[in-house]
Amino acid sequence: MPRSTRFFSAPAARRELLLPYLLVAPALAVLLALSIYPLLYSITVSLQQETASGVVWTLAHFKRLGTDNFFRTALVHTFVYAVVALTFEFLLGLALALLLNQQMRGRGLFRASLLVPMMLPSVVVGIVWRLMLNPDFGAINGTLKHFGVNTESLTWTASPRLALLSVIAVDVWQWTPFVFLVLLAGLQAIPQEPYEAALIDGSSRWQTFRHITLPLLKPAILIVLLLRTIDLVRVFDQIFILTEGGPAFATETISLYIYRTAFRFFDFGYAAAMSFVLLALTNIISVVYIKLLRQ
Amino acid sequence: MKTRILKTGLLVVALLVALAPVYWMLTISLKTELDQFASPPKWFSFTPTLEHYYDAFVTRSFGQYLVTSAIVAVVSTACALVIGTLAAYALTRFRFPYGLDRKLSLWILSTRMFPAIVTVVPLFLMMRDLRLLNTKTALIIVYTGFNLPFVIWMMRGFFAEVPQDLEEAALVDGDSRLGALVRIVLPLVAPGLAATAVFCLIVCWNEFLFALVLTQTDAAMTLPVGIAGRVTQYEIKWGVMSAAGAVAMMPILVFALAMQRYLVRGLSLGAVKG
Repeated sequence: MPRSTRFFSAPAARRELLLPYLLVAPALAVLLALSIYPLLYSITVSLQQETASGVVWTLAHFKRLGTDNFFRTALVHTFVYAVVALTFEFLLGLALALLLNQQMRGRGLFRASLLVPMMLPSVVVGIVWRLMLNPDFGAINGTLKHFGVNTESLTWTASPRLALLSVIAVDVWQWTPFVFLVLLAGLQAIPQEPYEAALIDGSSRWQTFRHITLPLLKPAILIVLLLRTIDLVRVFDQIFILTEGGPAFATETISLYIYRTAFRFFDFGYAAAMSFVLLALTNIISVVYIKLLRQ
Repeated sequence: MKTRILKTGLLVVALLVALAPVYWMLTISLKTELDQFASPPKWFSFTPTLEHYYDAFVTRSFGQYLVTSAIVAVVSTACALVIGTLAAYALTRFRFPYGLDRKLSLWILSTRMFPAIVTVVPLFLMMRDLRLLNTKTALIIVYTGFNLPFVIWMMRGFFAEVPQDLEEAALVDGDSRLGALVRIVLPLVAPGLAATAVFCLIVCWNEFLFALVLTQTDAAMTLPVGIAGRVTQYEIKWGVMSAAGAVAMMPILVFALAMQRYLVRGLSLGAVKG
């Protein structure tokens, strides 16, 4: 008897038919309770307001989005943060991956050491960079001073002008290794033959890179850009620990503003309304990248 | 020759940039307060002391935060692994009607893309209504849900790599489906299961926002929240912070280096096989 018929005609076949659903059910239950239900709950919270006469349904929170300058500033900060950090992380990560995509001594050690920043708990990244960037006794200014540089204006996270750049630099420090790792994996998966053909054709290095490496690396590039963009747009931890959004809100991104609204002012309705803007943003970004990936 | 020197030079610079800040924190955790604020900064020559480690973990409550972090990470990882592995197995081995297996998988992945801040507000209110604020239970529940999509996607990949013939042979021999899963398939995916577990542990151990919002008492706080709470107070004990930070990062580094082979795959949610 062929295997498959034996399997389906066995006495236990009925129970087996239900089995897939039973196996998936617990996971679905957990995800419904912890992702979908909270989302629906959040919608009701964003549409309600407490007044003297009890809870009323209202669109006030969403209307406030249009007139709130803090919200607009937070959007701008998030945009600048994401674009600048993504650009540097991608270019540096790609350069490192290309440099290391060949046999050389100590490659394994180098790769392992580069992993350190991205594996650190964000709170540790916060401490590390507070110690480096402290204007008075941080390692950077201390060392610069030692070499005779005037550090008076270099107050990093304490200066409204430099604070956003400083937190971006910390993000680049922490996450460039991730871009590097994924792109290196992508490079190593590219077969040798096209390169050999290019060599025979006498293509220049740039031509080889432009017409062979880049197109074949495209899936890895898009995946790493997607994951990084989403993480950058929702960034919270490092900024919270480094500056708490300050000084004078100079580093306040959307996530930090939502946190402040919900857990400092306890305005959960408005916080929920803003969080839907963030959710819409990350959704649009994912859809765009996935479209590109499918092409 | 010239380009090789240039390349090596660039790589050494990258290495220094990546490691020097972490090294600096380690030195601060081992320096007396006098040495911490020395000018010029003492990168190499100082007399090490363990007083800050004693201060943090014996005198202050960081020892307790450490235990809480460990419990929450281990229990929620175990829950996510059991629930997620079963679901992943079903999604790779069975065909659901209407292409539901594929649709479900994508939906599950999309929940992972939610910004944490979007769910943290309603989850805080839900936990408050359930009187679960400031309990380990709340964190365990939330982290289980948080890691579940990741477990399902990673394990789907690992299951897909196991040839179906092996199980079918077991089924022919009279094994039940679950029996075949436990006896034949799980041993084959054990390395993948271990890698997935380590990833979940790292995520739980490092997680900050949910822990910050859901736990504010000494008894329920995880290590990152405990550390952050002290950083933002106006008088900062640099040595204590650094000592706690050093202890918080050690298990992660050990785990990550042990799991290097699976790192790319895990960090890209199984999309890139490193």
